[in-house]
Amino acid sequence: MEIKIQITTQRIAEQQQPPAASLGARVEFRGVVRGEEDGQPIRALEYEAYSPMAEREMHRLITELSAAKPCLAARVIHRVGIVPVGEAAIYVGIAAKHRAEAFALLAAFMNRLKQDVPIWKRRAIGEAPESEAATPCAVQSGAVQSAGEVLKLVGEICRPLETERISLACAAGRVVRESVCAREDQPAFDRSSVDGYAVRLDDTATEFHIVDELRAGDWKPRRLQPGETVRIATGGALPREKLQVVMKEDVRVEGGTIAVLRRNHERNIRFRGEDAKAGQELLGVGVVLTHGALGLLASVGCVQPLVTRLPRVLHVATGNEILPPEQTPKSGQIRDSNSTLVRAFLGQWGITPDQRRVAEDAGQINSEIRSAKSGVDLLLLSGGASVGEHDFTRRLLEEAGFIVHVSKTSARPGKPLIVAQRGETVAFGLPGNPLAHFVCLNLYVRAALETWGGQTRRTDFEVGELAEDLLAGDNARETFWPASWQLLNGKAMLTPLRWQSSGDLTALGSANALVRVTAGAGQLPRGSRVEFARAERT
Amino acid sequence: MRILFFAHLKDVTRCAEMNLPCAETDADGLWRALIAVHPGLERFRSSVRFARNSEYVGPEDRFNDADEVALIPPVSGG
Repeated sequence: MEIKIQITTQRIAEQQQPPAASLGARVEFRGVVRGEEDGQPIRALEYEAYSPMAEREMHRLITELSAAKPCLAARVIHRVGIVPVGEAAIYVGIAAKHRAEAFALLAAFMNRLKQDVPIWKRRAIGEAPESEAATPCAVQSGAVQSAGEVLKLVGEICRPLETERISLACAAGRVVRESVCAREDQPAFDRSSVDGYAVRLDDTATEFHIVDELRAGDWKPRRLQPGETVRIATGGALPREKLQVVMKEDVRVEGGTIAVLRRNHERNIRFRGEDAKAGQELLGVGVVLTHGALGLLASVGCVQPLVTRLPRVLHVATGNEILPPEQTPKSGQIRDSNSTLVRAFLGQWGITPDQRRVAEDAGQINSEIRSAKSGVDLLLLSGGASVGEHDFTRRLLEEAGFIVHVSKTSARPGKPLIVAQRGETVAFGLPGNPLAHFVCLNLYVRAALETWGGQTRRTDFEVGELAEDLLAGDNARETFWPASWQLLNGKAMLTPLRWQSSGDLTALGSANALVRVTAGAGQLPRGSRVEFARAERT
Repeated sequence: MRILFFAHLKDVTRCAEMNLPCAETDADGLWRALIAVHPGLERFRSSVRFARNSEYVGPEDRFNDADEVALIPPVSGG
């Protein structure tokens, strides 16, 4: 008996080759996805299989059943992935000597398949009862989410990464994860803030004898007698308390003595603990280490701050039409700008991604995704923009064991966005065109990086004012409009950039913000208050 | 031991597979180890079958660290 079993993501063809031996009876069955499930309209079902076992089980079932219902050949094709309404999820063809056996075997096989073969379907709308246990964010195929919902989800699925201690030299931009306190008073001793002459506060004389000279770095405590002074440089440690430094401009030096010309109440001293007392918190958890903060850490001797480790990022740019930017495209080809965009974007966090450029070939992309198993936190897939390519990316992710949380957003540009997760790895499938990349990176990937970093999150959007009219046209969907912003008289002023469609790239040259235009807003006049996201690391 | 999750169990564990370091054990022992890592699996215990290296297991079967074990919730193919 000849048995052929196949599990495929491909559409099952209308015409199937009959099972080889076709004597007497040949019956065929196709299970086609209906437009409703439990009274709810659906657009598609989604099938998942434990493929090696499913194939083995189907083989075993046919062998076992054919003992009682002899047949000559059997062929089974089960489709996995998304199966739209009207297309077949399963094909079974049975050949036997007599129709009774063929019918009986087919019926028995279908019954057993539904009990034992590890294949599962999910409804596009209206989850099966057992699936209600799924977290609400595990979204069914076709579900569309707003930008706000995607941002919320990203915040939920990412958790702050582990910490590490690193040297100050490479800590710029990292997020500090322990509170850093002053170990001693800052400054640690009274220091002169001018070049001048230290005298006792209670000494009202106008002429003083110079008994010593103190430079910055000297440490020479001594008791001054009335009529005595020490010459002291800016930053020099004062020899004791209850002193005043008279500026050198206010005295006349005559050999070993000085005559005070002017004297006021200014003591010209930076007092011990004036900046920070020992034990006082200097940096809180979640602070991004700027060069200023690093200087502060150095000043208190915190040379190995505890920071969040950087996420490991794999970026795969797919497409048959893309070529390295240094090459000249032939007709139909374009330069791959996304790889450069992604690298520079991540560079703001000090992240260097591992980058691959591969043709749109399931095998190649698959091997890249699978290689991501070892410790990649963020998988970025730059795909083509069309629906077919989008589904292609999605299917590859699912086959690699990712759970797809978002397969589409209602915001533009960047509508065909995929957000998926496998264990601790988060994957973003980014639509191919660079402006959509720019938007998705700055909205969603940024949220992931900030959450992973453990930094104190600012709000996703800030408020500014339009410097010019924004003509969003007939925007049926929430839109993120490229703009350039600058601070003017304490207000964030946003100039919308010329932009028609996702394909327009010139706006990338000067965009440093994205204006959030609510669906249906149409035209926003100059002076309107708008929300915007900054397209730069903040 | 490599553990595979399917269908709604992936939503519970938020992963499709995991590595579970495990000494040789029976189904009860394996459940205890799994629930310790993913407590959310407990309520599905009665409806889930184990498959070891792509075959359903019998009640007496034991598991060891080299096995690939899949948790098979009620199936719905076809």
